[in-house]
Amino acid sequence: MAIDFPLLSFLLFTPLAGALVCLFIGVGNSVAPRWVALLTAGGVFVVSLLLCLQQPPTAGWLLYEDYRWIEQFGIRYTLGLDGISAVLILLTAFLQVLAVLVSWRQERAPGVYFALLLVLEMAAFGVLLALDLILFYLFWELMLIPMFFLIGVWGYQRRFQAAVKFFLYTLVGSLCLLLAVISLYLLHGDQTGTYTFALEALKQTELSTTQELVFFLCFMAAFAVKVPLFPFHSWLPDAHAEGPAAGSVDLAGLLLKTGVYGMIRFAFPLFPVAAQKTLPLLAGLALVGLFYAAWVAYQLVDIKRIVAFSSISHMGFVILGLAAWNQTAWEGSLLLMVNHAITTAGLFAVVAMIEQRTGTRSLDQLGGLWKSHPNMSAFFLLFCMASLGLPGLANFAGEILILIGVFTVKPLWAVIAVGGILFSATYTLRLVQGTLWGGNCEPHDKQDLHSREWLVLVPLAVLVVALGCYPQPVLDLLREPLSALLLVGGMP
Amino acid sequence: MTLESLQSLLPQILLALGSTAILLGGAWVRNRRLWLLVGALVAIVAALVAAFVEPPQIDILGMYSASAYARFCTVLWSLTVAATLVISCRYVDIFRFGGGEYASLMLFAAAGMSLLSAATSFVGLFLGLEVLTLALYILIAFRHGDTRGAEAGMKYLVFGAVATAFLAFAIALIYTATGTFNLQAAAVGLQAGDGLRPLGLAGWALLLVAVGFKISLVPFHLWTPDVYQGAPAPVSGLLATAAKGAVLAAFLPLLVMSGEGVADIRAVLWLLAIVTMLVGTFAALPQTNIKRMLAYSSVVHMGYLLIALIVAGGDGSRALLFYLVVYSLATFGAFGIITTFADENGEIQDYGDLRGLSALHPRRCALLSVFLLSLAGIPPLAGFFAKFGLFQAAFRGGYAELAVIGVIASIISVYYYLRPLIALYTPEPAVVCRDFAASTETLLLVGCAVTILILGVFPSPLLTLVAQILP
Repeated sequence: MAIDFPLLSFLLFTPLAGALVCLFIGVGNSVAPRWVALLTAGGVFVVSLLLCLQQPPTAGWLLYEDYRWIEQFGIRYTLGLDGISAVLILLTAFLQVLAVLVSWRQERAPGVYFALLLVLEMAAFGVLLALDLILFYLFWELMLIPMFFLIGVWGYQRRFQAAVKFFLYTLVGSLCLLLAVISLYLLHGDQTGTYTFALEALKQTELSTTQELVFFLCFMAAFAVKVPLFPFHSWLPDAHAEGPAAGSVDLAGLLLKTGVYGMIRFAFPLFPVAAQKTLPLLAGLALVGLFYAAWVAYQLVDIKRIVAFSSISHMGFVILGLAAWNQTAWEGSLLLMVNHAITTAGLFAVVAMIEQRTGTRSLDQLGGLWKSHPNMSAFFLLFCMASLGLPGLANFAGEILILIGVFTVKPLWAVIAVGGILFSATYTLRLVQGTLWGGNCEPHDKQDLHSREWLVLVPLAVLVVALGCYPQPVLDLLREPLSALLLVGGMP
Repeated sequence: MTLESLQSLLPQILLALGSTAILLGGAWVRNRRLWLLVGALVAIVAALVAAFVEPPQIDILGMYSASAYARFCTVLWSLTVAATLVISCRYVDIFRFGGGEYASLMLFAAAGMSLLSAATSFVGLFLGLEVLTLALYILIAFRHGDTRGAEAGMKYLVFGAVATAFLAFAIALIYTATGTFNLQAAAVGLQAGDGLRPLGLAGWALLLVAVGFKISLVPFHLWTPDVYQGAPAPVSGLLATAAKGAVLAAFLPLLVMSGEGVADIRAVLWLLAIVTMLVGTFAALPQTNIKRMLAYSSVVHMGYLLIALIVAGGDGSRALLFYLVVYSLATFGAFGIITTFADENGEIQDYGDLRGLSALHPRRCALLSVFLLSLAGIPPLAGFFAKFGLFQAAFRGGYAELAVIGVIASIISVYYYLRPLIALYTPEPAVVCRDFAASTETLLLVGCAVTILILGVFPSPLLTLVAQILP
């Protein structure tokens, strides 16, 4: 379905335009860039909201664009929007508004900072929309650069090590992906005579079992690092701990999601046979990650690192859902992904606020915030409860769907995973106890939430409750595209 | 020599005459910037002539060709030299270079490079290479009283002279074996399989040694870091880009046309490519001097280009030329930034001195980031599609192993390209306060960076052009 106005390209390039304006306006002006960034992010959010609300949830592409680009290599500029990308784009646009608000008082080179945030948003949109593998790869790599500089320039003391680690880890995965893409492209070209990177065409490539397995593993290397799946996760805690608050919101909300999206949009449909063969391995890693990350989170004292490890643990849950390979579990996985992005963004936002007021992130020195900052603590408690999967709050809906879906296929996996929820309860409660109750620390800033912080936290809290009680609108958007993807793959 | 051959060689003649004129003029008017700008103008005119004036004949005396390919190379090298001259304006003032001599030698080198990549016979090749090398000997040691510069000049002279000897001996052997100076005929003649084939092969092996010195392939690369470090930054830039590109460009048609005739050479090249990529990469990792790092980076990039040379054919040649342009833009840019950072105390080279410069010079640091990230092959910069084209050609030509090693080398390369960037963006006050760049310099470097960005998003026009002019 083609429409006259290239709405997707508009959505894609608006953040870039905003970024350029930020960059030029930011020279010698420290107030204007944040307003430009807020307006751009807000505008993009409104557009994507309309996009999601106006489209009927169908299986095909809601919007589609296709232009010639680099004919020498058979690369086309193809964008497509379906229910899955729509949900994730809406999520991205929403979190980006919050990311701008979280870093509102950015003093150091605000023009460049907000420009990088907007470029990151554009790259994430590109990843979620691209249907040509090289176009996808370009945006995939483009996500690295702004994130590298956000962590490396605006982070904490050990930011450079963290930034380089993040960059190298993800790059190694990405280049595996690139090698596989080029080989697949040549194989397809040799078979059919047309050299193309179009996803739909490449799905038809005839592959031997070994080839399929190798390609699948190369694709998964890139996506598993981004998710991050145990044992490829070690860059994430450092990136979170050393990165700025908005960087953490974007990491948890945008970057990690693109890994899962890559799996269901590219890796699984392109190599269904290999994917189904490796499902037990995937589930095994997901379960190990689930427990391992929870266990590590229980040992740590840095609250930002605890949240980072909880993130890894939750993403293990998401991957477990994918490994079940049925409609219920997949819906649960994507729902949990959305919910996790919202709760984690909330947690990181509150952690940044705690740090601003107390000057520390260590559980040893924190405590008693409930008395001095009741409103902030209430939000923190809410997000923590959502994170440990309290019924009625966001994460629960996703987790229960995943558990049901997994139980129908492999009851044992589900039983083990339930234990994981228990684990997450322990470290979350320790986190809550250590910060909100107990011995008083001496916060140098006695003020409770001010207006901008209310503005950040209220929408998140509303969403946490709303999605916990009524996740149906999201599921409606996901249902048809997911079942279409599952049909291509077939049942294991 | 007829009038027509002279007309066909017009760009080279322009460069050579311009060089002589500036040398003479420089003796009368001691204005550095004036002569540099005149030199740049001459180079630009030569480039325009090469690009837009149709030569009356293609084959010039059986020594040179005026094919579209040769003229494309002339345009590239002339523009590189013009850019080098413009970027050197402040630099020559700071170090009190003789402006006329400097510009004259640069143009002389441009003429040499242009002849080199236009050569169709060994005689032409030898002449071109010597013209280039002679100019470089002097340019490298141009800074008076600078011991590192003198050391670099000496090193290049010794290695260069040895390479020249190898080249001369190689030509003699090949001539004995095949009875011709013509490059094409010599390559094909090698195939004939007569009794002189071993002799010819020995000649080709010696030729490879000579070429290996010139484009610093491992194990002939040892001079590279020292020379790049000691030479004036703009000269290092020229050494790393055009001077190497011209040699590669001269050998590209040879490997493309001769088909199976040079299969044995290809096997050697295969080994050289692997060794060059790996050794260069690992040698670059511990460097703490940006010029030495860029030297090893250029070694690694020569290894990549060797892949394209091995694949030859349509895809390979296209990838090679595209890569050469993109690599030259980024490398020239990086050395250009180092040039603009120079002041009376010398150049900034150590990462320790780079620390915190971003606060002082945000624009130039951003530009340097663009150049280094492009060299690392990070999209959406042009370096990505250059590497993409290269690895795609390698896969398609049946050299998947080279592509895989290339990819691994480029993963590791990110580390050594990020190290100077990290130093730049360290939040410390810069140790030394440096001058601000002249607007012409900034403009030129911004131009390079913008071209890199545009080529990264729209590589099609250049790819089409390159495909059209291929031999």
